[in-house]
Amino acid sequence: MKSDTQLAIVKMLRIQSADERIQMADFTIDELISVCISRQVVDGEVLAQGINTPLVMAGFILAQCTHAPNVRFASAIGQSLCREWAPLGVGRIEDLWLGKALIHVGFAAAAADLLPSYNPKEFFRPAQVDACGNFNNVAFGHDYHRPRLRLPGTGGIPDVTTTSDHIYLYVPRHSKITFVEKLDFISGMGHTPERKHGHGVNYLISDYGQFDWANGRMRLTSYHPGVSIEQIQKKTAFQLEIAPDVHETPPPSDEEIRLLREDIDPLNVRKLETLGGGARKDLLREILAQENAL
Amino acid sequence: MYQSIPLSEAANLIQDSQTIALGGMTVYRRPVAFVRELLRRPNRPRDLTLLCFTAGYESDLLVGAGCVGTMRSVYFGLESFGLAPMFTEAAQKGMINILEETEASIVMGMRATMGGVGFMPSRAWIGTDLPKLRPDVKTIIDPYTNEELMAFPAIPCDVAILHGLEADSYGNVKLNNNLGIDMELVYIAKTVIVTVERMVEQVEKSTDSFLLPAPGADYIVHAPSGAWPTSCYPAYPVAGGEFMRYVDACNAGKFDEYLTEFIADRRSDLG
Repeated sequence: MKSDTQLAIVKMLRIQSADERIQMADFTIDELISVCISRQVVDGEVLAQGINTPLVMAGFILAQCTHAPNVRFASAIGQSLCREWAPLGVGRIEDLWLGKALIHVGFAAAAADLLPSYNPKEFFRPAQVDACGNFNNVAFGHDYHRPRLRLPGTGGIPDVTTTSDHIYLYVPRHSKITFVEKLDFISGMGHTPERKHGHGVNYLISDYGQFDWANGRMRLTSYHPGVSIEQIQKKTAFQLEIAPDVHETPPPSDEEIRLLREDIDPLNVRKLETLGGGARKDLLREILAQENAL
Repeated sequence: MYQSIPLSEAANLIQDSQTIALGGMTVYRRPVAFVRELLRRPNRPRDLTLLCFTAGYESDLLVGAGCVGTMRSVYFGLESFGLAPMFTEAAQKGMINILEETEASIVMGMRATMGGVGFMPSRAWIGTDLPKLRPDVKTIIDPYTNEELMAFPAIPCDVAILHGLEADSYGNVKLNNNLGIDMELVYIAKTVIVTVERMVEQVEKSTDSFLLPAPGADYIVHAPSGAWPTSCYPAYPVAGGEFMRYVDACNAGKFDEYLTEFIADRRSDLG
């Protein structure tokens, strides 16, 4: 039944290469991801901003500039609450979170007191995620003491995903390396019977589409322009559920694109999350040069 | 009562197998000059337990130089600049003992130490694999609700090393507001060493900085540019180019060459 719906929709869609997609569109994938993140924000919320997640930061600021003027940012850098924002940076990122903060609480109070009390919305970037929305940021490989790839660590993920109602995920590069049948380690808790508090992951955006967990399993709700459902399933190691009203992701508006490019992130810091290899390194060097932080 | 001492004397306070904590956050306000001085010692410390909320370049150098036996932090990496290469390699080869920490386990562990109790309870971790990765962390039943909770053990700390903007002759120190867990480290460490950018007549309180008044610091060391290439807001930003150079050197198998250059750098030396 599920696969019938899937096939019907696949037939309706043209399958294009990534290059064609970019040539056809007047926006780039990083911009679409930040815009979709922005659209998940509700006015008045407290938004937790982690470290080194510029696609999220750009989306949060965009939300404040458009439909959610009363959001507050709870930032890991400076452990602060901010209302005002400044353009994204790398070498001078502290100008934003230290220069504009309303209060600083230190990391102990931020982690143990502020975040559990305010229950903010937060987007995490999983290294691996399964169909139930459990995720892993510890290491790749079965042997914890000899991992295939050791990752930086889990920050506060095992703390907030077990209690929070507002867990969201984003994956800048959709692949079977990330969307796996079985995790190597569970550090982020998803939709499982063991859960005593909070709520499993609500939403995920990748460079291929948007997803929810309406039935406790990852479900495609929209595919990005130029991407087919078949392509998304091929890049996912488990069977995806497909929402009955699955549709194309609405593109960014001209104003959203203008805000991102001209006001929020003129240095293109957000693109560091979608680029790889030499192109990423060149951009990083360019950003640092413009910040006078090389 | 604090003492003002040179960097070399401060580095000699560290003994093998101690738990030392490095203040600041990832690539912000880390005690890099102190780490350099530690690595200049003819007898480098061995088997240290390194405690950082988030560890970065300064800790990676210590891991690469073989000084670290055990690592405790919630994150070990270089943010935009990528993985911490020497830590990543040591972890994959099983050459370093990792005590997997999260924000809750470090914060509750420090609060236990501050309160003089053996543990602090928390709802964190339950239902994830973290309890399996840390079999030393036990659970406890809440006597009021009967809920099973993690009992995060008290975290000990022999020496904490922080870097700040300025200090005065009364022992007051000015840090910035990207504080991390610096204040808690001052409370839990048996010995506190603070390196500073400059010595001043009197440290003034201001809204855009954090004042650590006496008697927080036991030792104060003048070390200009002492956080470079990590930032010391608002004095200087993250020197991103240096992180890129470090990662490239390590990836090319040239950590030892980089370390030799790093040790020879005299930017924080006085006179």
